[in-house]
Amino acid sequence: MKKFDPITLEIYRALYTSVAEEMGVTLRRTSFSPNIKERRDYSCAVFDSAGRVIAQGDHMPVHLGSMPMAVAAALREVTIEPGDVVAVNDPFAGGTHLPDVTLIMGIFTRSSEVRSQRSAKKKGQHPTPITQHPLFFVANRAHHADIGGATPGSMGLATDVYGEGVRIPPIRIVRGGETCDDVMKLILNNVRSSDERRADFAAQIGSLKTGEMRLLEIVARRGEQEVSDYAQHLIAYSSRMMRRAISAIPDGSYEAEDALDDDGISDRPVPIRVRLTIKGDRAVVDFNGSSPQVAGAINAVEAITASAVSYCFRCLVSTDVPASAGLMEPIKVIAPPGTVVNAAHPASVAGGNVETSQRVVDTVFMALAQAVPDRIPAASQGTMNNLTIGGIDPRTGREFSYYETVAGGMGARPRADGMNSTHTHMTNSLNTPAEALEYAYPLRVREYRIRQGSGGKGKQKGGDGTIREIETLADSRMALLADRRKRAPYGLSGGEDGECGRTYLIHRNGKNQKLRSKGNWEMKAGDRVRIETPSGGGFGEKS
Amino acid sequence: MGIDTGGTFTDFVYQAGRDLRIFKVASTPDDPSRAIAEGLQRIAKEIDSTLAIEVIHGTTVGTNALLQRRGARTALVTTAGFEDVIEIGRQARPELYNLDAIKPPPLVASELRFGIKERVVASGEVIEPLRDDDLKKLIKKIQKADCKSIAISLLFSFVHPDHEKRIAAALKQLDLPVSVSHEILPEYREYERTSTVVVNAYLQPLMGRYLNRLEKLNLKSQVSGLNLRVMQSSGGSISARVAANEPVRTILSGPAGGVVGALRVAGAAGFENLITFDMGGTSTDVALCDREGMRLTNESIVAAMPVAIPMMDIHTVGAGGGSIARVDEGGSLRVGPESVGADPGPACYGRSFLPTVTDAHVVLGHFPGATLLGGEFKLDEDRARRAFDELASDMTRAAKRKVSRVEAAQGVLDVVTTNMERALRHVSVERGYDPRDFTLIPFGGAGGLHAVDLARALRIPRVLVPASPGALSANGVLTADVVKEQSRTVMLEAKGDSQRQLEKVFREMEKQARATLLAEGFPDRKQKHERSLAVRYKGQSFELQIKQTTGNIAAAFHRAHQARYGYAQPANIVEIVSARLRSSGLVDQLKTPKPKFSSSKISATPHSFVEAYFERKKISVAVYRRAELIAGTRLRVPCVVTEYSGTTLIPGGAQAEINRHGDLLIEAAAEI
Repeated sequence: MKKFDPITLEIYRALYTSVAEEMGVTLRRTSFSPNIKERRDYSCAVFDSAGRVIAQGDHMPVHLGSMPMAVAAALREVTIEPGDVVAVNDPFAGGTHLPDVTLIMGIFTRSSEVRSQRSAKKKGQHPTPITQHPLFFVANRAHHADIGGATPGSMGLATDVYGEGVRIPPIRIVRGGETCDDVMKLILNNVRSSDERRADFAAQIGSLKTGEMRLLEIVARRGEQEVSDYAQHLIAYSSRMMRRAISAIPDGSYEAEDALDDDGISDRPVPIRVRLTIKGDRAVVDFNGSSPQVAGAINAVEAITASAVSYCFRCLVSTDVPASAGLMEPIKVIAPPGTVVNAAHPASVAGGNVETSQRVVDTVFMALAQAVPDRIPAASQGTMNNLTIGGIDPRTGREFSYYETVAGGMGARPRADGMNSTHTHMTNSLNTPAEALEYAYPLRVREYRIRQGSGGKGKQKGGDGTIREIETLADSRMALLADRRKRAPYGLSGGEDGECGRTYLIHRNGKNQKLRSKGNWEMKAGDRVRIETPSGGGFGEKS
Repeated sequence: MGIDTGGTFTDFVYQAGRDLRIFKVASTPDDPSRAIAEGLQRIAKEIDSTLAIEVIHGTTVGTNALLQRRGARTALVTTAGFEDVIEIGRQARPELYNLDAIKPPPLVASELRFGIKERVVASGEVIEPLRDDDLKKLIKKIQKADCKSIAISLLFSFVHPDHEKRIAAALKQLDLPVSVSHEILPEYREYERTSTVVVNAYLQPLMGRYLNRLEKLNLKSQVSGLNLRVMQSSGGSISARVAANEPVRTILSGPAGGVVGALRVAGAAGFENLITFDMGGTSTDVALCDREGMRLTNESIVAAMPVAIPMMDIHTVGAGGGSIARVDEGGSLRVGPESVGADPGPACYGRSFLPTVTDAHVVLGHFPGATLLGGEFKLDEDRARRAFDELASDMTRAAKRKVSRVEAAQGVLDVVTTNMERALRHVSVERGYDPRDFTLIPFGGAGGLHAVDLARALRIPRVLVPASPGALSANGVLTADVVKEQSRTVMLEAKGDSQRQLEKVFREMEKQARATLLAEGFPDRKQKHERSLAVRYKGQSFELQIKQTTGNIAAAFHRAHQARYGYAQPANIVEIVSARLRSSGLVDQLKTPKPKFSSSKISATPHSFVEAYFERKKISVAVYRRAELIAGTRLRVPCVVTEYSGTTLIPGGAQAEINRHGDLLIEAAAEI
């Protein structure tokens, strides 16, 4: 590869990142799913012509390592031509869980199109359809409020992927600039509140076009050769930064085990084991010994496990570094097929993304804490407390489905307390304001506060969890995917564990029913669900 | 008289007879009123009338108190069960991949948050009434808490303000400043509203004391009184009394003055689409104005806290002349966000060897005679060169080839231009504006050094450098109108029958505004009331502001959505979220004498020539002194234009002239 220039490298870092961020702005401001617009559960990224990620906006960590697999699957199965948009959500073909729908578009430079047409003319042929390979790909992934399946919000407890919603393999939904109406009809017929879904697809396509426009501008200004050279330099740059970070960890093998409470079907804990080997500037993260895949919906596909590992290591790189393919280059992830960290078809996977990913982080950090104890925080809440409520809104007669994740305590850091009521690790989605929620749904927030005093004790205190209580004004169905109800977030270096989470269904008649961590329930108008989220572990012995 | 308090200098602009006079006094950050007193004494000596002085003030007192956490001990009253909303915020952490990140603590500590039993729902219905004995208990508790101000923010108070009103009335007996959410910001989203009202309460005592001190300054006997007004963040001024009660409106007071000044200068020269570019030592402020004037936003974040009242949409980046350059572990050249500040300052100030943006200009010979402030301040060229030798050797190691000092300096400027370009994109392209339709207005000490390069990078066709770019903010506050902003969340579908309700809401707001402006001395003919609506598709969370408030609102919104985001969804329901009213009391514009003008378009004679690096080549460039240039003359390029408060670089290929108003007008001639 050619030599690079530090100045131009820095310029491209800013350029490509700003493309991804601009795509995010368009998506957020025009979308309809609260998950996208209020909670910002989406990611936008730019890929090189080989489908390797060059830059990604600072959006959702869980998408970090998993988006490239969606693009790879699309490239494998579809020949992407100008004006095409490919959609995919199939967890076994590059997706993660079904509500996360990824859209991908190729970026073709006009000059290469013109060239091909001209050379065709010269040879006395008719201008051939453009068959060049794109110079870039842009993609965005967004969590739709519903993608079909047995429970409103598509985040319920099914025992296989067929019960979780519509599975979209990599297929074109736009072809040569024209929407494929047949395909869209098929998808929209199988999801709840289909008008909103259609609008969200439009917002995602609009965001891809924003990315296309910006990339073409950059190519026009700086030339094709330089833009593709520096895409490669950026990938190499991220790789160098990661190698530096790994080199700073003492060589050795570090093992750890943590577990999810259960899979919601049986009561058995679901262990995750890791053996982390550091040698020079390379790392091997081996999940052999982790639980076989389970019946309940907490199976993670390989893309998610890779994302979680990538997140852990990225936190060890001191400065901000482009989220390019180079980050994972020095890291090898071994996730045996058929386990809860690399589930095979037809496993149900709704919670792999949101719950198992968090436990993978907890386990990898537990191992890293042995190697670099002064850098790793105690366990954070370790769940996202996924709550879904759906039914018919009596005000409009229309279907509604509300989905939200509830923040908890952050684990104490070696030099600071953990934050209270904050999203940690694999998510950073926002809450839905109580006032926005009451305008949008037949629901009412009755209480929203910090779970005072719950954080694990220690020299540095773990962050407190959250209490959120929601009343439904319509008969509805509620689904909960949560964890850390039995096994508390761990403390480190002598710090105490955090507190487990708790969930109650408070019936209109005053009866208070304690709920298990995962399941589906019926709610009557006037019933309330009360979630008390886990708190962070403490760090260091309290003197 | 306009007074703008900045980090280094306090600027004074005043009218004496037909002349507009400008001078600077060193700022006194511990108590900004001392610098103001000094300046006022100086003016009082010069004028001989005994008239009252009308002072309009751009202040950073509010912003600084927020950034440095020097506000009052504030109590917060909320709906019971929602006391912690101010701390939970939107439940997100500030940095994704920084395990050691720190979230600044909320302005109100948990022991000062008081929940009270009551509940209003979205429809305005009360499902839990406010009880008098709870109110009594609340007052006792607050009394014991020993606070200096109080904020009240209850759920859905903007649809039914009765509970907030009762609490505010009952708290009166404590004789403390009270900020009430339905008065400060009657809009939905409880965290943003609570944050805004808390910021207000936090600043109230401090701002009240400060303005009081200013009004009672002991001036020479010639001045019979001081009529004090304060610039607000949305670009108009408010009376000192309003500013003391609603200090949250003054957070961008200083930068807003600069934008108003830029608008005035550009307006006189015949340009209405502008991007302002205020580059100082540690930070740079950019903003965009179009035909509709300055752009306002309700989504500002100040010191990590949302402040949801209308403010000028000013985007700030942490990069300026003092930003430090370094090569990072991966071999990339970084500039900023670390800055040398005023102490030790850039290497060329003689106290450090840290290579900064200013030093890069020194290395490249962009300061003729190596001086600033018209020769008053001598720069240490040797230190700047040594700092860049060091940086060049770091770059040599990273690139595995020889990088020279000059290349390193040029590289630093390229990176800064890219970072600034990103800031300009943020206010233009990301919001659907095409930079080719705009004029760039640089000001602040370093604006002119980067403006033409930046214009070329973004394909902005021209640059207008106002006369005395360093005092544009003070100039701006002097000409700002008196403005009262109001809004109401209405949540209506855009249908025929929504018109009547809208009209009623607007009328109520106008009635209030008329009374306020009249009390400030503006009769009806000197008032302007501008209505607008915040509109979205039902189901979206972000609104677009549209000016059309009657007729087919839905169609106007479809057009706006198409223009901003590239598509519209005509089948969807259009929802009117808020009605907004901006009421202005029109201030008479200053009459300034026209500068001498030469219509011959002759080329001005350079003051001197200097060897400098321009566009990577060492060449001989002309040096002009701004004060010597006559309106109507052209400049030969490439050249450097120096003046007391700034330096402008004009590379080859551009065309530059002094227009009839005395502004420096540059056609950037982008080479694309």
